[in-house]
Amino acid sequence: MVMVFFTSLMEDGLPTEMPVGVVDLDNTSTSRSLTHRLDAFQMSRVVAHYPSVTEARRAIQKNEIYAFFYIPKGTTSDLLAGRQPKVSFYYSYTTLASGALLMKDLKTITTLGSAAVGQATMRAKGFTDEQIQTFLQPIRIDLHQIANPWTSYNSYLSTMLVPGMIMLFIFLISAYSLGTELKFGSSKEWLELADNRIVVALIGKFLPQTLIWLAIVYGYEFYVFYVLQFPHLGSPWMLVLLGFMQVLAAQGFGIFIFGLMPSLRMSMSVCSLWAVLSFSMVGSAFPVMGMDGPLQSLSWLFPLRHYYMVYQIAVFNGFPLLEAWFHFAGLAAFTLLPWLVIRKIKNAMLTYVYIP
Amino acid sequence: MYIWRQEMMQVFKDEGVLIFFIIVPLVYPLLYSWIYNNETVHEVPVVVVDDSHTSLSRQFIRMCDASPDVHVAYYAQDLDEAKSLVSRQLVRGVYLIPSDFETKVNRMEQATISVYCDMSLMLTYKAIFQTAQLVSMQMGSAIQTKLGQHYTKREEVIAARPLACDEVPIFNPSGGYGSFVLPGVLILILQQTLVLGIGMSAGTARERNRYRQLIPISRPYQNVFRIVLGKSLCYFMIYALMGAWLVILVPRLFHFPQLATWQPLLWLMLPYTLACIFFGMVVSCIVRYRENVMLLMVFVSVPLLFMTGVSWPLSNISGFWQGVSWVFPSTFGVKAYVRLNSMGACVGDVSTEIMVLWLHTFLYFWLACVVYGYQIYITRYEAFWRYREMKARKDAINK
Repeated sequence: MVMVFFTSLMEDGLPTEMPVGVVDLDNTSTSRSLTHRLDAFQMSRVVAHYPSVTEARRAIQKNEIYAFFYIPKGTTSDLLAGRQPKVSFYYSYTTLASGALLMKDLKTITTLGSAAVGQATMRAKGFTDEQIQTFLQPIRIDLHQIANPWTSYNSYLSTMLVPGMIMLFIFLISAYSLGTELKFGSSKEWLELADNRIVVALIGKFLPQTLIWLAIVYGYEFYVFYVLQFPHLGSPWMLVLLGFMQVLAAQGFGIFIFGLMPSLRMSMSVCSLWAVLSFSMVGSAFPVMGMDGPLQSLSWLFPLRHYYMVYQIAVFNGFPLLEAWFHFAGLAAFTLLPWLVIRKIKNAMLTYVYIP
Repeated sequence: MYIWRQEMMQVFKDEGVLIFFIIVPLVYPLLYSWIYNNETVHEVPVVVVDDSHTSLSRQFIRMCDASPDVHVAYYAQDLDEAKSLVSRQLVRGVYLIPSDFETKVNRMEQATISVYCDMSLMLTYKAIFQTAQLVSMQMGSAIQTKLGQHYTKREEVIAARPLACDEVPIFNPSGGYGSFVLPGVLILILQQTLVLGIGMSAGTARERNRYRQLIPISRPYQNVFRIVLGKSLCYFMIYALMGAWLVILVPRLFHFPQLATWQPLLWLMLPYTLACIFFGMVVSCIVRYRENVMLLMVFVSVPLLFMTGVSWPLSNISGFWQGVSWVFPSTFGVKAYVRLNSMGACVGDVSTEIMVLWLHTFLYFWLACVVYGYQIYITRYEAFWRYREMKARKDAINK
């Protein structure tokens, strides 16, 4: 369900055809051709012309457009006379993605526009095309986008959010299934089934769940990396291993929290609050290295953060697992956490009475 | 009034409800603001592979290092060494300057600088690429003006850029991450905690009751409107305070852009809080165990944030999901709040959203009355049968 939601939400990878407006006070064929060129870009679609800047700004406030292009009066004549006219582009940064993308488009257009003028002048002076190109852009930047050449947003958000959601569910269900034993008073029977050995009881309870979660995680990975062909450079075995660690670490965390607070309601509240916070702490949208120092160390306490780092290093970029050993060890540590509280869980199961 | 007092007592006695009503709305915004308070990434570490070793290439490196976004952390001998630095997460990108860099520039050919970006983080990619582009353009225009055989300084400038362009980011001038994501999160926290808290307290009420029913059989609990109004008054009093804290104090504490005054905010928050309360009451009646409320609401909270259009342009979300999101008050609440607060719109600009919120309030109020009425009906129905049974048993004993 979540999987379908996010992957269908960002089917295109990049937002396209975002509405922009134009304030054209010049109204010449040059300014109109600039507008047409803007319309032709993949990201932007010119939906309206406004008579003044104030009205365009109001349109942004009404959420009708994300940005507008302002061509003042006399632009064409200034351009022909060589007086360096100025056009402006106003874009709203309240939605970061659209703002950044639209700005890129507009920069390209004005560069192209001014290049066209320069080209015409230089042709008249008798330069060759190659000379003109060198003159207009003496240093070229050759961009290599390692592992995600399409700059697709989908492969960022889906690969973090969906595993995050799965982990959130594992947290909650782990705490829930222990808590319900207490709530419905069946905890003693449960322990008796395992001859009062808590380890056996826990393993017996969580092994079937682990299998189900593993099936879900592998289903998700198969869908995302093989059906949708998301970029990944690491080997498929890495994915299998990572999925396995992810499930175990999340279960370990859920049991641990329940052990700390043997009450269904409290442990579930803490689990859900922790899991929701981890979406921010994971640092896929806003990087962890941009946060304050204490927060950087705090991020180690979130299993999702370790998962994401291992994913990034070993799967997304395809580097050897050795480079991610710290985060891998972190996941392993989360798996082992229940050992610390196992006695307490047993105690709780035998003696506590459920208070609503 | 009696119901109001009962509900107040219950809220303050139940620690689970207390967490969601008081602690989460108080602490979460602070935590989120702290996380995003630095707004943008500066000084992203990069490694330089300088095969050219000329004054021009060194100038390029210096200019990159001097820019606010990029910090040249390492110099590598070749690409393999640079790659190992990237894999150890010490740097986020590589600038490769080929050995013929200065020769080509001097020969009037187009020189190339290769930029390799670690694409796992969007913000660092943007910083690395844009810095390289900016620096190369600056150096380029310096070279251009030297080559261009012009008479005056002004002519040189015009030749380099015949058409000047101004980019003006409005409403979030620093382009910060926090000021863009936080208003949405704040408003969403309000709805989620409210629904969770109401669901929890309803669950507790159910479990306390002898017959596992939501509504006790006693005198004050006869009238549907009284129940719904009494309970909602209690929640509203708590959330009037919380709402003020979230939308006025928190943004001020962390210096996020805030253009709205309190009057338009009041116009927005009043229907929003009411809509959320009645929505929460409807949900709490439909879901039987309080833990299930938690599963449900936590599950929808991340998709809901997306549906508000804060991080993903709304024009690119398919109609089906938009339709689903109209059920939740937060979709409209966030949209209106972002526009009021960050864009400085006036109440008239967001009148559609406010109207929809009032519509939500009205609709969910009636729905809450209906589901509570149904609960009362069930309670009475079962009580009647219990009474009949008891009476039959008593008769049997008497006989």
